[in-house]
Amino acid sequence: MRFTRLMTSAAVASALAIPAIAQEIDRPECVAPAQPGGGFDLTCRIAQGGLEPVLKEPVQVRFMPGGIGAVAYNMFNTTRTDDPSAIVAFSTGSILNVVTGKYGAWTIDDARWVATAGADFGAVVVKADSPYGNLEQLMADLKADPSQVVLGAGGSVGSQDWIKAALLLDVVGGDVSKLRYVAFDGGGDAMAALLGGSIEVYTGDVGELASQLDAGTVRVLGVMSPERLPEPYADLPTTFEQGYEVDWTILRGFYMGKDVSDEDYNAWVAAFEQAYGTEHWAQTVQQLGVLPLNLAGEALEASVRERAERLHNLAAEAGLIQG
Amino acid sequence: MADRIFAGVLLLVTLAYAFIAFTAIQAPFQYDPLGPESWPRLLSVVAIGCILGILWRPDNDSLDVARTTWFRLAAILVLLVAYAELFEPLGFIISTFLFSAVVSAMLGARPARALLFGAAAGLLGYVVCVMLLDLNLPGGFLGELEWGVSAPETQTEPSTGGTN
Amino acid sequence: MAEVLAGLGTGFAVALDPFNLMLVLFGCFAGTLIGALPGIGPINGVAILLPIAYSLGFPPESALILLAGIYYGAEYGGRISSILLNVPGDAGAVMTTLDGNPMARRGEAGRALSLSAVASFIGGTIAVILMSFFGSLLAAFAVEFTPADYVALMVFAFASLASLVGKSTVKTLLGALIGLMLATIGIDASTGVERYTFGIPDILAGIDFLVVVVGLFGMAELLHLVEQQVTGQLKTLPVDKSFVRFKDLAVAKWTILRSSLIGFFIGVLPGTGASVASAVAYGTEKRLCDPEGRTFGTGDIRGLAAPEAANNGAAGGAMVPMLTLGIPGSGTTAILLGALLMFNVQPGPLMFEQRPEIAWGLIASMYIGNVALLVINLPLVGLFARLLTIPQHYLTPLIAILAFVGIYSIVGNPFDLLLITGLGVFGWFLRKLDFSLAPVILGFVLGSLFENNLRRALSISGGDWGILVADYKSIMLYVLALLVVVLPIWLSRRNRSTLAVSAEE
Repeated sequence: MRFTRLMTSAAVASALAIPAIAQEIDRPECVAPAQPGGGFDLTCRIAQGGLEPVLKEPVQVRFMPGGIGAVAYNMFNTTRTDDPSAIVAFSTGSILNVVTGKYGAWTIDDARWVATAGADFGAVVVKADSPYGNLEQLMADLKADPSQVVLGAGGSVGSQDWIKAALLLDVVGGDVSKLRYVAFDGGGDAMAALLGGSIEVYTGDVGELASQLDAGTVRVLGVMSPERLPEPYADLPTTFEQGYEVDWTILRGFYMGKDVSDEDYNAWVAAFEQAYGTEHWAQTVQQLGVLPLNLAGEALEASVRERAERLHNLAAEAGLIQG
Repeated sequence: MADRIFAGVLLLVTLAYAFIAFTAIQAPFQYDPLGPESWPRLLSVVAIGCILGILWRPDNDSLDVARTTWFRLAAILVLLVAYAELFEPLGFIISTFLFSAVVSAMLGARPARALLFGAAAGLLGYVVCVMLLDLNLPGGFLGELEWGVSAPETQTEPSTGGTN
Repeated sequence: MAEVLAGLGTGFAVALDPFNLMLVLFGCFAGTLIGALPGIGPINGVAILLPIAYSLGFPPESALILLAGIYYGAEYGGRISSILLNVPGDAGAVMTTLDGNPMARRGEAGRALSLSAVASFIGGTIAVILMSFFGSLLAAFAVEFTPADYVALMVFAFASLASLVGKSTVKTLLGALIGLMLATIGIDASTGVERYTFGIPDILAGIDFLVVVVGLFGMAELLHLVEQQVTGQLKTLPVDKSFVRFKDLAVAKWTILRSSLIGFFIGVLPGTGASVASAVAYGTEKRLCDPEGRTFGTGDIRGLAAPEAANNGAAGGAMVPMLTLGIPGSGTTAILLGALLMFNVQPGPLMFEQRPEIAWGLIASMYIGNVALLVINLPLVGLFARLLTIPQHYLTPLIAILAFVGIYSIVGNPFDLLLITGLGVFGWFLRKLDFSLAPVILGFVLGSLFENNLRRALSISGGDWGILVADYKSIMLYVLALLVVVLPIWLSRRNRSTLAVSAEE
C-alpha cells in the first residue's frame, strides 16, 4: 500500500528511525507454515518486528497452512528452492516432522537454516479451577490409569504437541498407546477446549500462555525445562524440580530453500546478527512471549543437526519410525 | 446419456476412492475410535449409492453443446492452462497481456482493440494490485527491470519519512 | 450497562479523532477493493496490510482501527463480484451468488448491490451492539461449546441445507458428497496420516477452500460465459439505475434481523465463520420464507439479504472471543490478535481494564466503520453496476485475470492456478448436468469440521457415542435441525389446505 505510506509519511515522520546500515533484501517475506495465530505466526512476527530497524522494507508475513508445515517444506524443496526473499518459520516440531518422514523424502540437509527467533518450552497446563494442584497429582493419575485423563493439544498424533504428552506418560512408565489424546486444529482451539472443559490437560508451549496467565484463567503444572525460566515466567514450577525429568525445549527460527545463493543467505544471516545485538530485538522477543536464544548461520546449522539426531532416537523409541 | 457417462466416470473415481479408503489408509497410532479411514469409507459407500441411483434413472439426455462450441471451449481451456503455466515465467504483465489480447480477439473484439485491452489489463492490473494493494504477483523478467528502476524510489520513501 | 456506555464514550472519543476517522474511511475503502477480488478476502487483506500498518509507526489504536476497517471493508466487498459476476469474492459470499446474480442478470444489479449493502450494514451493526453489551458473557458460552456440540451444529447446518435441494434430490446429495470427499484430501488433522495426496506436495495440506470456490464458481462461470457467447445467447446488459426501495426493506426486514442474529452467534463460536453462518442463514430463510422453493434461487431479495446480513454479523461475532478471551475465533481475528501482540497489547479479559482506549476504540471504530461502509458503498453502486456494461469479449478475460490474481496472491503457488482451471471444468460439467454447486461447496466447508469434531468428541469420551447427546446445547441443536426440516413441510401443507379451502369457497 505504497500510497498510504506516502500519504501518511508526514504524520509519522518522527516515529520512524532508519539506522545507517540497512540490509538490502527485496520484498522480504516470512512464511508461517500454518493457520494464523499459532507458534509459526508468532515466530514470523518476531522477524517482522525485530528486523524492522535493519531492513529497508517491512517483512511480510504469509500463511501457508496445513500439513503441519509439510506444504511449506515441500514448496521450498520443489518450486521455491532459490527464493532469495523468503524465510520460513520452523520449530523443533518441524525438525521432528522431517525426521519422522512427515515431510516426505526430504531431510534436514534440504534446507538452509538461517537464524533463530528464540526459544520456547513445553508446558503442562490445566484450567485455574482444575483439581490438579501440582504435577505430582496428575502424574499419579496418569500412572494409575492413563485413560482417565483427557489430554489435548494443537497437533496431530506424532506431532511435537503429542510428543510432550507421550514423554509425560513415558516418564512414569505408562503405555503410550493407552493415552487419551485429542488433536485440535492449532493451539487456539486447544486452549478454548481447555477453558471450556472439553479437555483436562493441555500440553502447550509457554509462549502461547501469556494472556491467559495474566488473566489467571489457567495454571501451569510444570514447565518442561531443567531450570526455571527468566522473568516473566520465573514463578512457574518446572518438571525437573518436581522430580520428573521431562525436557522439551523448542527452537524457533527460520530456514530457506537449499539452492539459495550464499550471498542471499548471508544477507539474511547478517540482518539477524545485526538485529540480535539491539535492544529493539530483545524487546520484541520478550513482548511476544518468547525466550531469548540467538543462533545464526553456521551455529544454527550445527544445532539443528544435533537436535535432529536426538529426535530421531526419540521417535524410534516411541515407535513413530522403524530403526 | 450424458448423465450416464458422467455418472460412470464418477463411479470409477469413487470406486478408486473407496478402494483406497478400505485398504490403504491406516494410522500407526490412533486414539479416536474412528480412524482416518472411517469417514472416507462412509462417504464412499453413500456416494456409490447415489451414483447408482443416477445410472438407474438419468434425467439429462445430452449436454446440448454444438461441435463449434466444443472447439471454443477447448480453445479457452488451452489458453487458461497456458496462462497458468506462463504466469510465473513471463510475469504478470506479459502473460496477462498475451492472454487477454488473445481471448478478447477470439471472442470477437477487433485486433487493435484486443491488443489495447491486453496492454491495459496487464499494466493497469499490475499497478493497481502491486503498487496500490501490495499484493504478491510475479514480476517475471520485465518485473525485475521494473523493480530495478523503481528501487531507489521505494528506498527513499521511508527515509524521507524518517529524516524530515 | 453504565460501564459499557462509559467505555463506548471513551472509545468514540478515540475513534472520532480526525486522523483515526480518516484511517477508518481509508481502511474501509481499501478493504472493499480487496474483498471484491475473487479469492482474497478479509483474512488475506489484513495479513497483507498488517506489516505496513506496523511499519508506519502509528499509535496502536490507530493501526488497529485501520486494520479493523480493512477487515470490515473486505467482508462488504466480497458481495460485489458475487452479484455482478457470479464469482464469490470470498468464502462468506458463496451464498450471495444464489439470488444476487439472478437479480443482476435481469437488470437489477444496482438494486442488488444497494440492498446487500444495507443488509450488511444492519448485520454488522447488530453484531457490534451485541458485542458491546454481551461480549464477555457470549465468549464464556462460546468456549463451552464442546466438540460434541459442534457435531450437533454440523447436523443442524446440513439440515438447513436440505432446503437447497434443486431439481434432483439424488444430485444434491451427491453434490454434497463430492464436496465432503474433496475435503478429505490432505493430511488427517488427528493422526497425521496422508489421505489421497498421491505424494503431490501441493495438496498435502488439502485443497484450499478459496481454490475450490474460485474454481467451481469462478472458472466454471467463465466457461459458461464462453459457451453462451458462442451460441449467441448472451447480450450485454444496459446500464441499470435500479436502487433499493423501502418496500424491499419492508419485505426483507425479518429475514435480515434473523440472519444477523444467526450470523453473529455462529461467528462467536471459534472455528466457524462467515461461510458457515451465511449458509445456515440462507438455508433457514429459504425454509421459512419459501418452503416450496419457488422464488429463492431466482433472485429473491430475501435470499440475497440473508447471507449478507449473516456474514457481516459473523465478522463482528468473531471479534468477541478474540477481544474478551484472547482466543481467535477465525483466521482473520487470529491475525488481528497477532497485531495486538505486536503493539504490546495483550488481548484477553484484562484488556478492557488495562488498555480501555484500545479495546473500546476498536469497538467504536466498528460502529463508525459500518456507517462509513454504507456511505462509501451506496454511491459506488452505480459505478460497480457499470461493470456489467463492459462487452463480453472483455469481461470474460477479465474474470480469468481477477481469479488468477486473487488465487495467486494468497500463497504464490502457480499449481493453484491449474487447480482452479481443472475444478472449473469439473464445475462446468456439474452445472450442465443440473447439479447445483452450492451443496458441493458447503459439503467441502463443513466436511472437515464435521469429521474432526466427531472424532474429537469420541476420543474425549473414549468411544462412547452417548457424548453426542450428553449436553443441552447439542440436544437443542438437534431439535432445531428437526424443526428446520419438518416446519416447512408442515407450513406448505397448511398453505395448501387453506388454498383448498379458499378454492372451495
